[in-house]
Amino acid sequence: MPLLLNILIPTIFAGIIFILGERVAAKQTRRLFVLAALLNFFCSVFSLQFFYEGSAAFRQWLFLDHISTPILLLTASLFVWVSIHTVGWLQAIDALTVRGAVDGPAAPTISSRLYSEAIFLACMLLFLGAMNLAISATNLSLFWVAIEATTLVSAPLICFQRSKAALEAMWKYLLICSLGIALALLGLFFLAIADPTRSGLNFFVLRECANLLDLQWGKAAFILILAGYGTKMGLAPFHTWLPDTYSATPGVVSALLSGALLNCAFLGILRITQIMPEALHTSCKQMLLALGFLSLFTAAVFVIRQQNYKRLLGYSSIEHMGLLAIILACSLRAPLMQRVLVWHLVGHSMLKVALFLLAGNIVLAYGTRSVNMVKGMFESMKWNASLFLLFLLLLCGCPPSPLFATELLLILELSSWQGAVLLLLLFMVAAGMLHAAMRMCMGSNPKRESMRKSALLAEKLAPMPAISGFLALFFGCSLLYMLLKLF
Amino acid sequence: MNGLIEVLLLGFLLCSFMLAGSSRLMHCIKLVATQGLLLGILPLAVAKVDGGSLGGEALFVAFINVAVKGAALPYMLQKAMQKADVRRELEPLLGYAASGLVALILIAVSFWFAQQLNYSEQVVSRLAAPVAFSGILIGLFLIVARRKALTQVIGFLCFENSIALFGAGMMLHYGALIELGILLDVFVMVFVMGIAVFQIKQEFQHINADLLNTLKDKPRK
Repeated sequence: MPLLLNILIPTIFAGIIFILGERVAAKQTRRLFVLAALLNFFCSVFSLQFFYEGSAAFRQWLFLDHISTPILLLTASLFVWVSIHTVGWLQAIDALTVRGAVDGPAAPTISSRLYSEAIFLACMLLFLGAMNLAISATNLSLFWVAIEATTLVSAPLICFQRSKAALEAMWKYLLICSLGIALALLGLFFLAIADPTRSGLNFFVLRECANLLDLQWGKAAFILILAGYGTKMGLAPFHTWLPDTYSATPGVVSALLSGALLNCAFLGILRITQIMPEALHTSCKQMLLALGFLSLFTAAVFVIRQQNYKRLLGYSSIEHMGLLAIILACSLRAPLMQRVLVWHLVGHSMLKVALFLLAGNIVLAYGTRSVNMVKGMFESMKWNASLFLLFLLLLCGCPPSPLFATELLLILELSSWQGAVLLLLLFMVAAGMLHAAMRMCMGSNPKRESMRKSALLAEKLAPMPAISGFLALFFGCSLLYMLLKLF
Repeated sequence: MNGLIEVLLLGFLLCSFMLAGSSRLMHCIKLVATQGLLLGILPLAVAKVDGGSLGGEALFVAFINVAVKGAALPYMLQKAMQKADVRRELEPLLGYAASGLVALILIAVSFWFAQQLNYSEQVVSRLAAPVAFSGILIGLFLIVARRKALTQVIGFLCFENSIALFGAGMMLHYGALIELGILLDVFVMVFVMGIAVFQIKQEFQHINADLLNTLKDKPRK
């Protein structure tokens, strides 16, 4: 039942906020929004008791296992940070708005709104509900419905602030992701043909009878579903929408898209991998490895000399999704790698949410997304700057980051030449990201006087990303401590 | 082999083929609506031919299917067309004669590909898979070869209809809840896309999707 509540609470609150809309003060809807996020978090914690339990009738639709439980908790806690940050961000925009027009350097990025704030908050809650449904769905076709729903409710979020770039990004996101997900639906039909039990794609039944699966149809289904959910997850070569979308959206939306949505899409690929018969494991592994390394390569090439710091973070997401695909490929042979998979996913999401929220703060203060135009961050906004640099270092895998531990374990698992290529690509990404970050943080800021007010507001928005990032740091420390004790 | 089902499937194939060769958006919308209609009545025809009776649940799903894909979606597309004030796809990236030829080749490829697969006994008709694959490929082709955002939506619907046809033709059923969920998703998608088309028209003064290319990695000079 708590699992159902996880889906119902955000949906109902979204309905309330949508209906109240402009009729009540913005303060009230914002409070309701944060309340919904908190309730959802408690509900997720409460649903832990359903881990491995629950009646058979219940498990026909919703369940949790050792992989989806951390993702559910992660999504719920990230949403709490993001919701509080969103309210702060909206208040900051209100503070910057003088007589209907935005004041200061941030004006070009905070153009007029396409629709009201209440719809924005309601869509965010619906987005959370759809993600919760996807995470806990037992039936693979129910999972598909949920993933498609996440695309639809997150598309309006992208163009909250009316601009040509945002509309273009939304169109690309809608069209490319919908096409990808429709391919996954075709893959599900193939899977239903391959499945001799005619179970209606129940995950448990499929996993029990994995070795009865028809090999030809099963392999075709795997390819289509990998391509379909891979599009949504941002694996190269299906990643083209991702940097465009992330660069054009408000920071809070890109934080959710990157920190929470990509995990859900990845869960789809994980589930389909889990139900593949052993005869297909080799080819599945090869495909996952190929896409994973291609994603890493794409990220490495485009991160170097990248001019837009939000695109930079987007390419870093592609890199980490590639790493997840590689870890998944390894976990086919070594089941222990499934734990590494979860660690990596959790570490990446926390750090990426923190970084995207900070990037949103930088946009708010400087009013630009270009690396060249942001100078002297240490001078004008020292909290944001130091957190940005610290979390970027952690994201690149500097110890004691959790990503350091997982990447180390991954390289131990890979063959030596694969490990070497991986290290080289990781190094390239790290070099590109830190190069851009140092240029943004150092130097003196020529716009210092004109952006005094917006920089002050951005500094006030630093706590939420700090919480998220420091939790990741703490997680990394405990992970490393545990590993060191093991060896 | 049975006459009625084959006629429905061939009608579907004809619609996909004509989509590739028609320039007027209204015509395209009507073709997609016809596809949806044929798709909706296919399960009913199958039940009639098999002699079995259809459960109330399946009947309900078929009814909703016809209502959404045959009426609601075309209506929304028509609204979007009027709001965005476009009637024709004037300068397709590939001409109409050439598009027809490509569509023919795609259909041939689909029939060849469908022959390579081995089916279980539970297939409605041998024609179902090749017709579905043709529609999928033609839908993809329309998305790539047309400029207007609205035509891309129509291509997407053709793609989606064909995938659903594949499911219906292979007698795959997930249960009413899931099928209604899929329908709801498609419905909302076209709704959101319709709004997006209107907003793009407002902001850019056109809906040529190939001109939506400002987001790039290289900084603009």
